[in-house]
Amino acid sequence: MRIALLIAWREFAENARTKGFWVSLFLFPTILVLSIQVPILLEKKGTPTRHFVLVDASGEFEPLILQAIADQETKRADSALRDWVRNNRAPDLLAPFVQTNRELDLAALKRERGTNYLNIPGFKAPTAKLRRVPLPEGVEPSFPVDSLAQLLRPWLREEQKLLVDGAKRDLFAAILIPADIATQSKRGPGDTSSAPKPTGIQYWSGNLADTALPDLVESTVNGELRRREYAARGLDRQTVQAIEKTRATLTSLNPKKASGTEQVGLSDRIRQWLPSLFVYLLWVAIFAVSQMLLTSVIEEKSNRIIEVLLSSVTPGELMTGKLFGIAAVGLTMLSAWIAAFVGIIVWKASGISPAEAAAAASSAGGGIAQVPADLASILQSTWLLPAFALYFILGYLQYAGLILALGSTCNTLKEAQNFMGVIVLFLMVPMFTLTYIPRDPNGPLAVILSWIPLYTPFVMMNRVTADPPLRDVIGTFIMLLGYTGLVLWGAGRIFRAGILRTGQPPRFLELIKWLRNR
Amino acid sequence: MTPTAAPPPLIAAPALELREVSKRYGDFTAVDRISLTVPAGSIFGFLGPNGAGKTTTLRMILDIIQPTEGTITLLGSNSALSLRNRIGYLPEEKGLYKKMRAWSVIAYFATLKGLSRAAAKRRAFELLERYGLKDFAESKTEALSKGMGQKVQVLAAVAHDPEFVILDEPFSGLDPVNQTVMEDIITDLRSRGRTVIFSTHVMAHAERMCDRLAIIARGRKLFDGTPEEARRSIPGRVKLQTSDSGSIESLRALREVASITPGPDGRWEIELSGNANPQAVLEACFTGGIRLRSFQFTEPTLHDVFLKLVGPDAREASFR
Repeated sequence: MRIALLIAWREFAENARTKGFWVSLFLFPTILVLSIQVPILLEKKGTPTRHFVLVDASGEFEPLILQAIADQETKRADSALRDWVRNNRAPDLLAPFVQTNRELDLAALKRERGTNYLNIPGFKAPTAKLRRVPLPEGVEPSFPVDSLAQLLRPWLREEQKLLVDGAKRDLFAAILIPADIATQSKRGPGDTSSAPKPTGIQYWSGNLADTALPDLVESTVNGELRRREYAARGLDRQTVQAIEKTRATLTSLNPKKASGTEQVGLSDRIRQWLPSLFVYLLWVAIFAVSQMLLTSVIEEKSNRIIEVLLSSVTPGELMTGKLFGIAAVGLTMLSAWIAAFVGIIVWKASGISPAEAAAAASSAGGGIAQVPADLASILQSTWLLPAFALYFILGYLQYAGLILALGSTCNTLKEAQNFMGVIVLFLMVPMFTLTYIPRDPNGPLAVILSWIPLYTPFVMMNRVTADPPLRDVIGTFIMLLGYTGLVLWGAGRIFRAGILRTGQPPRFLELIKWLRNR
Repeated sequence: MTPTAAPPPLIAAPALELREVSKRYGDFTAVDRISLTVPAGSIFGFLGPNGAGKTTTLRMILDIIQPTEGTITLLGSNSALSLRNRIGYLPEEKGLYKKMRAWSVIAYFATLKGLSRAAAKRRAFELLERYGLKDFAESKTEALSKGMGQKVQVLAAVAHDPEFVILDEPFSGLDPVNQTVMEDIITDLRSRGRTVIFSTHVMAHAERMCDRLAIIARGRKLFDGTPEEARRSIPGRVKLQTSDSGSIESLRALREVASITPGPDGRWEIELSGNANPQAVLEACFTGGIRLRSFQFTEPTLHDVFLKLVGPDAREASFR
């Protein structure tokens, strides 16, 4: 045992010293933090101001569109101010409007200071996201829509720059509304007019990904058009608005939950999908450490260090040491990942104000602010973490057994990689079913895959929060235990016979012979 | 190598004894009924051409593979595995963990042989210093030259101060300077009462160092004894040069002469019979009035012995 531990320690120390280990150790938390922070940052700074031109030949929609944009900018500015007050010591002039929970009473502030309410020393209001600019010189709004589009092309293609406040800017988009938009619009089946093919609003832009502006224009114009139609048919504005608010609600209920708590909320969805994240981690970890194990066996074999080792230790001790050492590497990696995961949740949870949390909670089913708290309670109340540890160990051991047997029969890494490809192919199945299993965690596919030992750790892990039948849990566990034992036993035999062998890898029949020998 | 370690008693049982040991792989016989005795505290050379069965025999001695027949007794035990900590081994194909530092490779193998971590580390530095590798102690082994790497590996094999050391081709790939260092390491071991068995196909090393040696080819033992016995196992040769080519033939009558072969420019090569004294040939030349321009007696070298014994076999058998 002392010897196995010595070997394990060397394996651990050598692998923990590699760059790859440290990269993978920090990669997951980094990706996690980035995936949370980057959208926030982009939201704050990333998108530059988009300059657009607007020609409304009808003259009816321009003010409405500009108003909608202005409303949107106000909303952003308000939210930025709220965040700023929460995270900074507010200046004295704001003091009367800041409540004890550091929430800003915006309504009161606006009443008091009017439109100038954003002008607070130290606070920098966000720059406008959308900004309407005048047409370039020589382009007149009175031109017909089609020739306007032609004339604006050089700017839209960024071949020419706009001059805005003395600085050169790209033209992001041109919105061209024809004069007859109100009469030329598409109508429902009741439409009896014999108008020609509707031309509609033209939205010209080289950027097809950012749909915020066209969406806004479309909804504003359509909203207005519909309201007019309602009015034309004798419905007044208030009635229409009241009708538009009518809505039936749909509540998802889970029959498996205790009565009174059947309502399905965000926490239930987290509960459904969180295991998938763990399966992913499990998979990555098993995959990564399998590679380490393979490299380590092949190094000793191709360098012929193995002979010196075998004059000092038995093949059994060597194999045990390797299994433990590499397992320790994998566990270290996983622990670091889980710790980072929990740490980031706690950090994010502490940054959410109670008011936001309360507001979020009051909206249907609990909001995004509830996530960290939900995660914490799910981790506490389910078998996720213990199952994760268990399935990592059993999953690792069975794949490690295959890898050891494989590594001991190959002479070079290249040779081994060919066979490794087959193992990876098998390993892909749990990845393909990763998102399918949570949708039907106790369905036939999940149950069948659970009983294939190669996939048991991944699939059972994916099902763990869905209360799988006890028969599956205990049955697959016993099977997995037996299978893993069998694999390790066989791997031991092949390892002993293969590790000293040089030359061609053994044929399949030879492997069978090794299994049956002594 | 540590001055404190007391050498074990040199007398009594041999360190290693092989009795009728064979190893067969299917129809192929790698080692064929070899018997050997290696006295404790000696250097034993294991000579043979490529594919002779040297490495297989050494692996069997180490119990890495098991003989098909026969018994092996090492340091009084039937299984080398039970006394792994008392044995040191340098395999034929040399390799080290590339990313480990020189000292830590030596220390690692020493801990596998039972030394504590602290003792192993101390010992590693001590050995590196003694054999001129002090400056490379912290280098990764992949940065070492082949010769240095090989020295590190030998040091790793003997770091736990084993009683019995097995070195498979320790000189291969070393330059003359490092070959001398290797000879020093081996003779140091003997001077401290350790038993060393090494294989080689370079006779010069065996000739200089071995107390006893065995020559094997195609799995069979062809010779076993001291270098002196080996040399005496083949007759000596006299080379002479004379202008009286006719009278040379009279030497054939001598009991000491086995054969006479003519060469160019009046040179002759005379093979002596058995261990005959070349003096008798010289006297016969004087009494026969043969005018000699030169007379040279060459004692057979181990090289001659080796070629004579395994010559025909060495061309074949490149497999192992």
